[in-house]
Amino acid sequence: MRSLRLLVVGTLLHAKHLSRSPFEVTIALVVPVVQATLAVYLFRAGGEQHRLLEAAVGAGVMGVWSSVLFGSGGAIQDQRWQGTLEMIMLAPRRPVLIILPITIATGVVGTYALLTTLLWGRLLYGIRLEFAHPVAFVVAAVVCVVALGMFGLLLAATFVLMRNANALANTLEYPVWLVSGMLVPITVLPAWTAPIAAVLPTTWGARALREATSGGPVWPSVAVCLGISVLCLALGAVALTHVERRARAAATLALA
Amino acid sequence: MTFPSLLASAVAPPLFSPPTPHRRRPHRRERLGMKTLRLMTVGGTIAYRALFNWTTPGMFIGTLLVGPLFQLLFFAYLGRQLQVADDRFYIVGNAVLTASLACVFGGTMAVANERRYGTLGHVLLSPRSRTAIFWGRVIPYAGNGLLIAVVTLTAGALLLGLRIPVSALPGLLLAMAAGSLACGFFGLTLGALGLRFRDVWVVSNVAVALLLLLTGVNVPAAGLPGWMVTVGNALPITHAAEAARRLAAGDGLAAAAPALGQELLVGAGYAAAAVILLKIFEVESRRRASLDAL
Amino acid sequence: MGSEYAIEAEDLRRTYRARTGWLRPRRTEVEAVRGVSFTVGRGELFGLLGPNGAGKTTTIKLLNTLLIPTSGMARVCGHDVEKETREVRRRIGYVFGGDRGLYDRLSALDNLRYFAELYGVAPRDQKRRIAELLDLVGLAGREGERVEGYSRGMRQRLHIARGLLHAPDVLFLDEPSIGVDPVAARELRRTVADLASTGTTVLLTTHYMAEADELCDRIAVIADGQIQALGTPAELRRRADGRRVVEVEAYGVPESAVDAVRDLPGVRETAVEARGALQLLTVHSDAHVDVQSDVLRELAGIRLGRVDSREPTLEDAYVAIVSAS
Repeated sequence: MRSLRLLVVGTLLHAKHLSRSPFEVTIALVVPVVQATLAVYLFRAGGEQHRLLEAAVGAGVMGVWSSVLFGSGGAIQDQRWQGTLEMIMLAPRRPVLIILPITIATGVVGTYALLTTLLWGRLLYGIRLEFAHPVAFVVAAVVCVVALGMFGLLLAATFVLMRNANALANTLEYPVWLVSGMLVPITVLPAWTAPIAAVLPTTWGARALREATSGGPVWPSVAVCLGISVLCLALGAVALTHVERRARAAATLALA
Repeated sequence: MTFPSLLASAVAPPLFSPPTPHRRRPHRRERLGMKTLRLMTVGGTIAYRALFNWTTPGMFIGTLLVGPLFQLLFFAYLGRQLQVADDRFYIVGNAVLTASLACVFGGTMAVANERRYGTLGHVLLSPRSRTAIFWGRVIPYAGNGLLIAVVTLTAGALLLGLRIPVSALPGLLLAMAAGSLACGFFGLTLGALGLRFRDVWVVSNVAVALLLLLTGVNVPAAGLPGWMVTVGNALPITHAAEAARRLAAGDGLAAAAPALGQELLVGAGYAAAAVILLKIFEVESRRRASLDAL
Repeated sequence: MGSEYAIEAEDLRRTYRARTGWLRPRRTEVEAVRGVSFTVGRGELFGLLGPNGAGKTTTIKLLNTLLIPTSGMARVCGHDVEKETREVRRRIGYVFGGDRGLYDRLSALDNLRYFAELYGVAPRDQKRRIAELLDLVGLAGREGERVEGYSRGMRQRLHIARGLLHAPDVLFLDEPSIGVDPVAARELRRTVADLASTGTTVLLTTHYMAEADELCDRIAVIADGQIQALGTPAELRRRADGRRVVEVEAYGVPESAVDAVRDLPGVRETAVEARGALQLLTVHSDAHVDVQSDVLRELAGIRLGRVDSREPTLEDAYVAIVSAS
């Protein structure tokens, strides 16, 4: 119960802190809108006008991934630069309870992208927000954000172990968009990418949202997405414990 | 037509409101003392977006070679899936576009770093030709962009099985060089604009995203609304990509020449715009004695 | 409670390893703490005094679980800092000087709420506790403002409030008054003294002599990663017994003159400190030798200001201890 409270309060306050960064918010709002515009014209050029809502949702989910990738991947580094890392790691809590709210918050900030692309689609392109399963869409969106936050924890824990983690983060934006079929499922990809797609929570999250948008079973995808993410969370928690111990041994918690 | 005003109308308004809460950040971080750190934290902490430190091999390969290649693959497969255009359209166009990342950020850095390290005042007030100084700074970034475009085109073509006639290669190189140079000057203009807006990296990030859309590299111009095509025509890459596509199709240099010329014209326009902006800024800052506040 | 001591350190050592360069990585090792042992009783206000780079911060981080000792052992409230990390963390607060370590775009209240949650303050106590602490550090009424608008002193006080949220048994204060204006520093000292008087054990690091002298029950002088002297302020002052101090204000003392003073019979230590345009020359000598006239003779021809001969202070004792190390 206490842990759940910490997760909720922590997530809200970190989301608040991120939301007050003009840089973060501008990037979170503007870039996905550009992507969504691109998607709309691509879909139109490809004769898929009837799927424009999917394009708007897809572009929004791409924004969520970007937010989680850069936000969570750099979560520990960010705290270090702010000088808050030592302060939070000193709390008498399991490291996972300390870092998870931060990574979920990056997912929450990512939803700004989703909301903006939907609003923008409605206002500029007159895309009717008619979801096949509106309630399922909301549930799937929440699950997707939390799940990506959990996945983000694994990223946070592993990236901090790598010297060139930023370089890795920079390379992972497009391939995950592509392989997970966020904008549109890519059936023309080489077959060897299928297993990768199958183990990425992003694939299932995007699929659940697409099914909720234009019809489909939704719940199985939601369940798989959540299942994989919980597994990532467990792996991330183990990695994080290792990271914390290593950081104390190597004196890398602070800047010095 | 003034490019800056065009650009201003194309980006979201929040960028141009004075972000007062930001004011303190660089000052405090100054104390961290490390060069890279200062750059890294310039625009938030997201490495890609602020594109700090390309000097480590890992960073260079990851950010500037592998990342752009994935970008190319993403749009190529998207194009195949939606059957919007053929591989050549996507591979060649995106390869030319990949130079933009290094060039736009590089051009911006050419101005922004001066400010960040507190040397802008010295440069602006130096008796040497400021025009030459700033134009000169763009060249290495443009060269870097060209390298990236060449690598991306080669890798993309090999991976996706695109055949390009050998005779087209010199022309392609020329087209990519023109695009890179124009992009570098475009970045310099953004950097100069950035002197007015505290978070210059927001501007360059948004600009890089807009290039994806407006240069017609990913959506054929025929599929874009007229005003976007007009804006695109005033942006770098648009004409270079067009020239490159013609060359890759085996149309020969003569067919690509007009587009190539237009790209160079656009580049020259930004080179001039950047210098004019810097001049205006210099005069203003002298009048308001605000150079030290940079 | 377990142990009669709040803090026990036994032969603590800490080595930093660093790797520089990516082409030909070189490994460097720095021994920051080299065998530090001491104990702090419950409720004691213990000072760790030393020049910059002496190993004060490293020692504190070894004790508060942020660093694992390379060798040696430490316990806080009877719990091993390496193995019983969470037990230790429950009982300690950590405050460092400077203005980092807070969430700038959040209000003071939000910062405190977050850390209260992190440090496991019971939800029903949080509101009262936060209000109490805001009062204690004098931020009540301004808690709704974003921290980015706070002055250095205000940030420092917020840091202290944060460190006290969970009413720790042991409080680690690492250079709390660094960069704080004199008035704020005095208030800070009062707050620290109040805390100690209510039973909180405080371990304070500082390089301000007056602060240590005024606050601490006992002081350990640390230099070069080792404890050079340990005792009450009065005991330490006695380290300078048998000495006399001559202070000379001068303008443009050449190095050769300082060397000449240093070589005078009876002189123990000589230090030169630049104070704006003038230099303050401090000469320690044996108490029974009057070196003042000898010193002035060596400085002949140099423009001089005030000349003073006095009894040694704690600061002189400190200088004697540190320069002897």
